[in-house]
Parts: sequence; structure tokens; C-alpha cells
Amino acid sequence: MSESADARYAAAPALPDILPPVRVRTGALGFAMRHPTMAIGLAILAVMAFVALFAPWLGTVDPTALAPAKRTRAPSAEFWFGSDAFGRDIYSRVLYGARVSLLVGFAVAAIASAIGLAIGLVAGYVRWLDGVIMRVMDGLMSIPPILLAVALMALTRASVSNVVMAISIAEAPRVARLVRGVVLTLREQPYVEAAITTGTTTPRVILRHILPNTVAPLTVQATYICGSAMIVESILSFIGAGTPPIIPSWGNIMADGRALWQVKPYIIFFPAIFLSLTVLAVNLVGDGLRDALDPRMVKRL
Amino acid sequence: MSGYIFRRVLAMIPVMAIVALFVFSLLYIAPGDPAAVIAGDQASPQDVERIRQSLGLDRPFLVRFAEWTGQVLTGNLGTSMFTGLPVTELIRQRLEPTFSLMFVTLILAIAVGVPIGVVAAWRVGSWLDRALMALGVIGFSVPVFVVGYLLAYVFALELDWLPVQGYTPIAKGLWPWLENLILPSIALGFVYIALIARITRATMLEVLSQDYIRTARAKGLAERPVLFLHALKNAAVPIVTVIGIGVALLIGGAVVTESVFAIPGLGRLTIDAIVRRDYPVIQGVVLMFSFVYVLVNLAVDLLYTLLDPRIRY
Repeated sequence: MSESADARYAAAPALPDILPPVRVRTGALGFAMRHPTMAIGLAILAVMAFVALFAPWLGTVDPTALAPAKRTRAPSAEFWFGSDAFGRDIYSRVLYGARVSLLVGFAVAAIASAIGLAIGLVAGYVRWLDGVIMRVMDGLMSIPPILLAVALMALTRASVSNVVMAISIAEAPRVARLVRGVVLTLREQPYVEAAITTGTTTPRVILRHILPNTVAPLTVQATYICGSAMIVESILSFIGAGTPPIIPSWGNIMADGRALWQVKPYIIFFPAIFLSLTVLAVNLVGDGLRDALDPRMVKRL
Repeated sequence: MSGYIFRRVLAMIPVMAIVALFVFSLLYIAPGDPAAVIAGDQASPQDVERIRQSLGLDRPFLVRFAEWTGQVLTGNLGTSMFTGLPVTELIRQRLEPTFSLMFVTLILAIAVGVPIGVVAAWRVGSWLDRALMALGVIGFSVPVFVVGYLLAYVFALELDWLPVQGYTPIAKGLWPWLENLILPSIALGFVYIALIARITRATMLEVLSQDYIRTARAKGLAERPVLFLHALKNAAVPIVTVIGIGVALLIGGAVVTESVFAIPGLGRLTIDAIVRRDYPVIQGVVLMFSFVYVLVNLAVDLLYTLLDPRIRY
């Protein structure tokens, strides 16, 4: 059968390639070509992380050292970014400030996601608790996040960990609502129903079928939370309800420069550039992740 | 319809109750001793005790909460620990500047954000679309006070076109009032414009792919009526929803913007209260703003029926 077929129908002649074969680049360069926004964002973040980690070895001096004789110097060879009203070196303060901002950003993203994930899973899975939990989340979400953080900070001692907790509490309800929505659609999916029918226990259904599907939207949301947490931290510090003034954070440096901004704008300018660049980088990574993880979203947002 | 409004207003009650319960119980669930934190490090034990009593922390939680709720419902938000004045009075004095700022910003953000989103969706994929959306990402990333200082430095200090700081009540004339609010509104509106533009573009993209848009174009309508009458009208519901949600951004940002532009509003009141650890004032401001936010979103919900006659309750 096959012999006769081969004899009657000659194999089609090999056609020349009309288009050259697509060469998919691999490695870092390929990634950068396919996801330019994410690559730019990650590059900026890498630089900031480097700066934060190696701040002591990047030509900095003690960021809290006072030098009353050298107050409010303009940027120069001695003070690269100038000095503030107490003679502290702004270059050193800005570099050390990266530590606080990155720490707060990533810690809030992790903690708020974890709290929100737990609450969202419970609300989405335990029917009788859903109503109560979601009303409480609605209530928390009706308090503008910055004011919620301000109220929390007014009652606790200023510290970086309290700032992280205050912002996390303000952000967690949004995560909870997102996760709950995902869970509610997932539990109607045939494969989840099949798993339940075949006797899979609830914890196992959540672990094997629900959780993996929340990872993509949760990661994207966590990235945006990271960026927004950095902004909120700087706002809280700026209005005096955030990181203790002794710790150099970008918000604190700007708060110190507030009184002098009309005559010495560079005190605010340098931390502002660093903060904006870092948040921009985080948002670019978030946009890139969103596009990469959920291609349907590209058109929608 | 009136039944629906009634149900929606009723639904506000549990939400506001949770806000109130949360803001109130913060005093009790905050780690450490709030009275000691409020009193500060130099306070004597007598001071701490006095603050504890004035906050009512010496009495059981439920008793205090019942008392406090009764007071709030009758319009009494307590007295400021620093000035001794009623919190409602302090808030009332500061309402005008803050709401002026928020109002001007809202108008500005809608007037700029919606057209940007429409144009971006109309020319989707073009360099214009990309440039506008890149601006949008920057809008999300630059903190409000950074934009504020930048604008004040360029347009007030260097070019001297507008006043640097301050506020003039509207009673003294429309232009003096507006003149002081232009720069703060642009600064505050930056994020909000980005948000509105983004959602407008996304919704418009969806609407523009509908058959009736093709029909409208096929029958020879000009682009402008197609975009603004046929498409935008049908994209209105998500846009208005985001405008309502974004009011939270406005409220949070107003606190900071007022500080940058020395506007004597609720933001200044809040910042002064933070410095003095005047919790009753902070509590009052948070409650008031949350109430405004819930009301705005109720209004948005009720607007749906006007914007989209297909929505019936």
C-alpha cells in the first residue's frame, strides 16, 4: 500500500524559504528584545539594588554626619549632590535612602500579597464567610490608603517596620478582592469540579488547582503595590508620619529640603529623581509582566 | 428606581459602620500603649494618664464605642487634644480650600484625561498613542509633591506667571481663587489624568471594534461624531467608575499638595495633627473623607442609569 502510493505520488519538491526562518534569540539579549519595557525596568531596578547594597563603598560618607560649617552647599566635587541644612552629604543620603525605599517597596508587596491572598482564598472558598469578609474589605477600601496609613502611624512609634505594616494593611484589601474574584471564577471551572468529584480534599484543591492560577494576576498586582508603596512611604515621610527622621529615606531628605526648596531646590531634586526613576522602573516591570503573563490584557489596558 | 436608591443608601450604612469601627478600634489594637505614644517621650506618667482619660482608654471598649458612635451620629467628632476646639469646627474651617482644590482638579483631570484616552485609542499603535501612554506611565510614577515642586519652581519662581503658594477664598473673586489653584491642581491631577486616560483608551478600544461603529463610519459620519457621540457614550460607564474610584487618589494627594503649596485646608490640619499626635482630629478627618468617598461612589452608581439606559434596577 505504502509502496504503491510512494510510486504514484512523487514527493513534493522542497520549496525555497520565502521568509528566512525566525531565529528566536535566547539569553538576556533575546529577553530584552522581546520585552523591552520589562528589560528597561529590570535594568534600572538592578542599578538601584546595586546602589542600595553597596552604598558604603560608592564614595559615600556617613549619611547622618553633621557638618554645621558646610551647610547647604551647592553640588560640587566635595558634595556631589550638595549638602543639606545640617551639612549632611546629600549624595550619601540619597544612596543610603535607596535601602529604605526598596526595602519598604518589596516588603509591602510581599506582606500585602500574603495577607490579601489568605483573606481572598478564604472569602472565595468559604461561602458563609464571604459576605462578612467582603463587607469588611469594602469598609477598609473606603478609607483612602494614605489616610489609613496616617491614622495607623499616628498611634505607633515611627519605625520602618511600622511603616511597612501600615502600608500593607492599606493595600491588602485590594489584593483580597482580586484573589477572591479569581477563586470564584476558578471554582466553576470543569477541571476543578472534576477534581472535587473524584474526591480531592479541599486543601489539595486549593493547593493544586486554585493557587497556581492566582500566581499570574497576583504577581502583576504585587508589582504595582511595590511601586505604590514606595510612593506612599515617601509621602508619609514627607508629611512627618513615616520613617523616623534620623534614617535617611528619600521622603525624609525631601522633607528636610522642604523649607529651603525655593533657594536650594537641589536638596529635593536628587531624591525626587531617584524615587521617580525607581517607581517608574517598577511600573515598567509590572506592565511588562502583565503583557507577558496575560496576552488578552494587552488590548484591554 | 427610588427603591434602588433607597437600597443603595442603606448599603452605605454597614460600610460606614466598618470604617467607624476600624478607625475607633485602632486606639485599642495599635501595638504598645497609644496614650504613651501620643504623649511623647518626655511626658510624665501624669500626662500619660491624663491623655488616657481624655481618649477614654481607661474605660471598657464597648462602652466607649457606644458613646462615641452616639456622638458621631449627632455630628460630634470629639475635641482636639491640642487646641481644645471641637473637631467638627476645625474641619468646617478647612473645608473650602480642600474641596476647591479637589473640584478644580477633578474638572481638569476629566477635561484632559478623557480626550487623551480617546485620541490614543483612535490612533492605537501609532507613535502618538505610544507617546501618550508613556506619559501615562510617568504620571503613575512621579509622586505628587515632586510634580508640585517642579511646577512651582518653573512657572512660579522662574517664569513668575502664577503665585508660588497660598490660597484665596472664592469670596474674593473667581480669578484670584483660580489663580492660586492652577498649579496645585495640575500637580494633583497628574496621576488622575494618567488613570482616566488609560481606562478611557482601554474602553474606547473595545467599543471601537463594535459593529455599530463600523456602520456609523460606513454611512459616512465624520470621525468626530463617531468618536465622541457613538463611541464615548458607550464607553462612559467604566470611565465614570474609575473617576469615582480615583477620588481616593485625590484625597490622599490633596494632603501632600496642600503642604507643598501652603494651602490652609484639611491636609494642613492633618499634618499639624500628625506632628502634635492629635488623634481625635486625625480620626475625624479620616471619617469625613471616607464618608465623602463612599458618597461619591454612590453617586457614580446612580449615574449608571443615566449614562446607560440599558442598566435598569
